[in-house]
Amino acid sequence: MTPPDPQTAPTAVRPAPDGDGSPLLSVTDLVKHYPKRGGSFIKHDVGTIHAVCGVSFDLDEGETLGLVGESGCGKTTTGRSVLQLVSPTSGSVRFQGRELIGLEKRELRRTRRDLQIVFQDPFGSLDPRMPVGESVAEPLHIHGQWGKQGRQRVGEALSLVGLEPRFATRFPNEFSGGQRQRIGIARALVLNPKLLVLDEPVSALDVSIQAGVVNLLEELQQQLGIAYLFIAHDLSVVRHISSRVAVMYLGRIVEIGTRAEVYDRPEHPYTQALLSAVPVPDPIKERSRTHIVLEGDVPSPEHPPSGCRFRTRCWKAQDVCAEQVPELVDRGGGHPVACHFPELTKVV
Amino acid sequence: MTDSTISVDDLHVDFSSGDGVVHAVRGISFSIAPEEVLGIVGESGSGKSVTALAAMGLLPKNAKVTGSIRYQGQELLGLKEKQLSGIRGKSIAMVFQDPLTSLNPVYTVGWQIAEAVRAHQDVSKDTARQEAIRLLKLVGIPDADNRVDNYPHEFSGGMRQRVVIAVAMANDPTVILADEPTTALDVTVQAQVLSTLKTALDETKASLLLITHDLGVIAGLADRVLVMYAGRPVEVGSVEQIFYAPSMPYTHGLLGSLPRVDSDGTEKLRQIPGSPPVMVGDRVGCPFAPRCPMRATICEEQEPELRPVTFRQPTGQDSANGMVGEEVQPVPYDIPGGVHLSACHFADEVAAMPTASMFPDSSADHETVLP
Repeated sequence: MTPPDPQTAPTAVRPAPDGDGSPLLSVTDLVKHYPKRGGSFIKHDVGTIHAVCGVSFDLDEGETLGLVGESGCGKTTTGRSVLQLVSPTSGSVRFQGRELIGLEKRELRRTRRDLQIVFQDPFGSLDPRMPVGESVAEPLHIHGQWGKQGRQRVGEALSLVGLEPRFATRFPNEFSGGQRQRIGIARALVLNPKLLVLDEPVSALDVSIQAGVVNLLEELQQQLGIAYLFIAHDLSVVRHISSRVAVMYLGRIVEIGTRAEVYDRPEHPYTQALLSAVPVPDPIKERSRTHIVLEGDVPSPEHPPSGCRFRTRCWKAQDVCAEQVPELVDRGGGHPVACHFPELTKVV
Repeated sequence: MTDSTISVDDLHVDFSSGDGVVHAVRGISFSIAPEEVLGIVGESGSGKSVTALAAMGLLPKNAKVTGSIRYQGQELLGLKEKQLSGIRGKSIAMVFQDPLTSLNPVYTVGWQIAEAVRAHQDVSKDTARQEAIRLLKLVGIPDADNRVDNYPHEFSGGMRQRVVIAVAMANDPTVILADEPTTALDVTVQAQVLSTLKTALDETKASLLLITHDLGVIAGLADRVLVMYAGRPVEVGSVEQIFYAPSMPYTHGLLGSLPRVDSDGTEKLRQIPGSPPVMVGDRVGCPFAPRCPMRATICEEQEPELRPVTFRQPTGQDSANGMVGEEVQPVPYDIPGGVHLSACHFADEVAAMPTASMFPDSSADHETVLP
């Protein structure tokens, strides 16, 4: 391969605002393969699921990177790899300049103070037999920070998410889905983390409740300066909350850029198809839009297509797409895109 | 002969539960014209799915259904199972949310489509099979000649839903009822299924009752919209009326709470304070009143009926502007679409307000905690 032209070299490394040159989180060439188990009597590995294949991105302090894609694209695995909840097959996850992969357990636990996660299911992520105040307090106990201030910290965390501290003695079943999600956020915030991984935090909520939680996340970020890795399949929510957006397909990032770059100037055919498929709640606009309807289904991650993984469904596919993996680089449009034939098309 | 396919009149559905009687549907009336798409929107528990199940006679035994559901003038409520199954699946077809549960896992998809054909038409097995292949091609299943012999588990979620649509089309129905047909699906798959649904409508000339919580899907497909809240329709109108001149505060709130893929995301989302009502027991007044920024004494005393929206300047504003006695500038109300109904004591004032402006853009938790 020819060396990359400096003009179009990968723009993964960006100067961080804090001046020391390194971003808060830096993920490089992250790969996660799961073994596929099978066999009729004796279970053994019969194949490999290529869940995440060479994902790289940076996240600065106080910013939100939206990670979007459809089921099975690897966005959740990526999020969990960042926290080392799954151990990546290869690659690097650096948090504040420090490599997390292969870190010793005690060291890892110390780092996790600054790295917290909020899960999708507000019903499954809280212990039904534990008062919510105890759930919020657990991280403090685990990290030996309960002390004299513990109870007060729990109260503060609940106030931060808009709940009254006196609710701490109540049980999860007394709260609605939206409120449980707020409790999950309070639990993640109680250690004053620097980065929150939000894995589909609002997708289980009704729209009228979702709005309050989205607004809350935005306000908390302004107030506390936390960085978010916001994982979601809802492109509208991601547009609303993210400063930068990465679009994933079958284990790879196909396009990454600022919110305006990805939504207003998408260059990857998949990004365009994805955006055009989101219905807009405006009858005249919705009926006059072009909807790109993709053919077929997402191929199995057990046998991903060679070259560009989107080529089997792409209307632009040529021979080169099967032979060469398109690198995620700026191809003249101002932001990195992994396509041999990028072309700006406005779809929303 | 009537000019509607299905007409529902004053439908009530109650369920008895341990905590008392649950009023799931509290009086809903609508009719669907031939080839019309009627969208029913509402959040979880608003009674939209129960309405569809009632129309098909598919509610469990503990449901008490009153009112009237007519298909081309024929009353369906109280019909014997055998008579009902002559209509169900033939004239009225259904598409449910979860295609895995509506398809039988132990039969091939071809067999299941052919069975639907043979249940209502006197044709040979071979003709039915050919028809199954034709329908699979129509709903965009590639390689239909071979896929016809596959089982449901060999299809992806989106393809299964297209098979379900093929089953629904099998007997050239007059009405298709679709209950959250794309809810569990990814957005590009949703686009495939919606386009298949449009194909089905073009092919069969059927009317569609589309039940969904997704206002975007409604905006793209519906001719008329019925907004449900607490078991009742609170606003009914053409899709343009509902989206461009919402006249019920709840509709305003729903539209304002949606993040939009076509807006740059700088606008804050509007939140509807409070929680949806509990449907157990009897209540007085407007069910939306506890969450409504416009509530007045009358709202807590009297549940508003659906009545036509006339759209005039709010009287309070008139006097505040010193316009009493002067000629009030009428707000143009030229949105087409026939009668626009709203169940709000202040519908005319609400219709004149810019969308969502009445709700807070705060992040506070306004939901109720049980005492």
